Amino acid sequence: MKVAGEYLLAAAPDRAYDLLQDPEVLARCMPGCDHLARTGPDEYEMRMKMVISSIQGLFAGKVSIADQDRPAGFRLVVEGNGKVGFMRGDGLLTLVPQPGGTEVRYEGEVRVGGMIAGVGQRLLDTTAKMIIKRFFSKLAAQVDGASSSGAGA
Amino acid sequence: MSMATTVTKAETLVGRRLRRKEDPRLITGTATYVDDIQMPGMHYAAILRSPHAAARIRSLNVQPALDHPGVAAVFTGADVAGVGPVPCGASLPGLRVPAHSVLARDRVYFVGHPVAVVVATDRYVAADALDLIEVEYQPLPAVANPEKALEPGAPAVHPEWPDNLAFTYHQEGGEPDRAFAEADVVVRQRIISQRLIPTAMETRGVVADYRGAEKSLTIYSSTQIPHLMRSLVAQMLGLAENRLRVITPEVGGGFGSKLNVYAEEALMGFVAMKIGKPVKWIESRRENFQCTIHGRGHVDYYEIAARKDGAVLGLRLKLIQDLGAYHQLLTPAIPTLSVLMMPGLYKFRNVSADILGVFTNCVPTDAYRGAGRPEATHGVERMMDLLAAELRMDPAELRLLNFIGADEFPYATATGLSYDSGNYAEPLKKALDLVDYHRLREQQQQAKASGRLVGIGISTYGEICAFGPSPATPAGGWESATVKIEPSGAVTVMTGASPHGQGEETTFAQIAADELGVPIEDVIVVHGDTAIVQYGIGTFGSRGTAVGGPAVYYALQDLKAKILKFGELLLESSDVTFSGGVCTCNRTGKTVTLAQIAAASYRAMKLPPNTEPGLVATHFWEPPNFAFPFGAHIVVSEVDPETGQVEIKRYVAVDDCGKIINPLLVDGQVHGGVVQGLGQALFEQAVYDQDGQLVTGELMDYAVPKATMVPWIESDHTTTPSPVNPLGVKGVGEAGTIGCSPAVVNSVVDALGHLGVRHLDMPLTPEKLWKLIQAGGQA
Repeated sequence: MKVAGEYLLAAAPDRAYDLLQDPEVLARCMPGCDHLARTGPDEYEMRMKMVISSIQGLFAGKVSIADQDRPAGFRLVVEGNGKVGFMRGDGLLTLVPQPGGTEVRYEGEVRVGGMIAGVGQRLLDTTAKMIIKRFFSKLAAQVDGASSSGAGA
Repeated sequence: MSMATTVTKAETLVGRRLRRKEDPRLITGTATYVDDIQMPGMHYAAILRSPHAAARIRSLNVQPALDHPGVAAVFTGADVAGVGPVPCGASLPGLRVPAHSVLARDRVYFVGHPVAVVVATDRYVAADALDLIEVEYQPLPAVANPEKALEPGAPAVHPEWPDNLAFTYHQEGGEPDRAFAEADVVVRQRIISQRLIPTAMETRGVVADYRGAEKSLTIYSSTQIPHLMRSLVAQMLGLAENRLRVITPEVGGGFGSKLNVYAEEALMGFVAMKIGKPVKWIESRRENFQCTIHGRGHVDYYEIAARKDGAVLGLRLKLIQDLGAYHQLLTPAIPTLSVLMMPGLYKFRNVSADILGVFTNCVPTDAYRGAGRPEATHGVERMMDLLAAELRMDPAELRLLNFIGADEFPYATATGLSYDSGNYAEPLKKALDLVDYHRLREQQQQAKASGRLVGIGISTYGEICAFGPSPATPAGGWESATVKIEPSGAVTVMTGASPHGQGEETTFAQIAADELGVPIEDVIVVHGDTAIVQYGIGTFGSRGTAVGGPAVYYALQDLKAKILKFGELLLESSDVTFSGGVCTCNRTGKTVTLAQIAAASYRAMKLPPNTEPGLVATHFWEPPNFAFPFGAHIVVSEVDPETGQVEIKRYVAVDDCGKIINPLLVDGQVHGGVVQGLGQALFEQAVYDQDGQLVTGELMDYAVPKATMVPWIESDHTTTPSPVNPLGVKGVGEAGTIGCSPAVVNSVVDALGHLGVRHLDMPLTPEKLWKLIQAGGQA
């Protein structure tokens, strides 16, 4: 399944770039994520809960970042395994400066297998869009929170 | 004129619309299915299955599952190295047969491939413990589409065969090249017969019970072939055949999907022998979709050659069969049936067919209701409509012009078959009369003129069934029966066919009751237990009545001869007739009843010359030929231009299955068959994504027809007895499915023909038709 879209963050490209690679921020923003820790340079381990259709399950996996090109963009690879199947996402994030901040453009492909493919594939598209939307809206809240606390300092 | 005795012709039970003897237990919930079997100490198995279509197993750690409370054992591929391969019974020249272990060794080949089995004291514990097994897979590229699998550079399903070809097969008859060179018209079309999931109401299930002291294993399995299963599973487990008993309890639908020996039967036998406790495995619906065979899976390239006047000259077919990752019992043989039946009911003297049997990273395909014949009928019946459109001829007229004549039987086809008997125009004419065809065409024109998308579709099918003469079948094509008359006169029929919904407990009782002149209530029919019933072949390919029936008939003839001998002895006369359940001396009029004869035969105070005590006869009947039923189905459909929904306005089926033993059961078979044909035509498709993930993984995503989606089916018959067997019967289990799909598709193509639509591939979903209508007929 292909995913693509864009989201406007009220932060300059450098700041947006940092947020998108900050494990604590990501753990807070990723829906269902209860653990994200750096295991090496550009390597993280992650655990998140996913609900698709009638099934839900924990996915344990790793996130790796490649092709770092600060602040223009990077490649993100997510791999997860769980009782209900497996997923692999491979995407390119491009950060484009805009008058109000930074437009984050994403384009990638998500592949799933196991029970989530057999049961949830029909709803995967909407689920993925929903997860991405929630992620960015939470990230936007982080930006606002950070900038307001910054303004207060 | 007066006579000393009045002779009344007894009304026969054969031919009567009798309710099934099977039904009371089925409708009162007292039938016993595999999952109803309970035994002391029973354990439960759950199977870990691959989530990948292709992957190497890097590591496998079962210890956490073993440590789980309630888990008795876990077995993996390494443990079952001594168990023989899952059998393929079909043979073709040069066939590549992949090693097919009951559990994956170091590699998995399709989603659902069994990797390990967990055995626990509780079904839920077993299922939970599956999640504790740690498997590290290294995913490999997979290919799920047979045409893509043939492309150079495609991922190799089995690395030893990079071209993914399991076999090629060529058959031709007559002079196809010349026929095509001399033709006025040649019509070509690519036709897909999509992968289907058989979806029996009862999933598969196995109970295995090993008695170590007796070294004997009993396997209860929801199968169509208990005896063949015994032979094959005994071989897999290295058991002597008489140490294995296979019992087939009630079977909740098979449709070919249980005409197989799967990994799980031998695996449960292995587990029971290892743990020394009975073990039960019941397939979940999701497993059933992933791991039980699928049906169809063709991409067919057809060419038809004809003269301007509509006379057909030749037919060519390139058939790409999606085999899946392995051969199950009959996998590679199924498309050869399509080739045998490709000429349909027509005088094609020149035919040529090539099969490419292709491995894909999917569950294997195999026999599914019709097995190769629905695909063939769909092909030739679509081609006849395409030819009719090309020549601007009426599709009914084109068919009538090309039918094999009623005076040409037995008819030798260009594919090497001998059609036993037929009158192909008769059911078509009857169906045309039933729908009032000419008036219907006028009404269609009026409807179309007012913007309604109404279509009329005709399909005339022929099928090969009553499998079959032994030289032409993989495992022997005969069937067996034993008839016992107990000392009290009660009659027990034991059939080697293993009916599972076809109703032979009723039809065979009708035959026996008629032959012996006893009430049908006195007859019981026993089947499905290898320790009780003599060796048999099974029920598939519309053979139960057509091959099993004659075996019963001939066993009864043997028995009647013996009854007569005892009658002569007891009546002290050589002029005795057996009729209506009594032996009568034709000189004195004295009688002796069957019960008296039975009692005397077992008491054996006196015996007729050269006669053993008792009244038991066994007959193994070898059919001299297949039987070839036929028929015509007409569908009137209307497509809603706003939604793309197809509504079947009328469904008329005129089937000729030879002589009918029980019209009620024949109607039931036609109805069920048509519904499964509608499933293929309108709703069903097993979809694998590009990575080999089965997307239609459960009944939420795989649309089998429900009662509200089924039209009223008007069923009628013509009767052309088969000369192949003494009952004149042919077989009707698959007819409805075979006749249905082309009639539906032809009707919808007819409804959309004015938009330039000449062909549509199944299923005809609202989405597909709506898009087509929106695009003005351009796909």
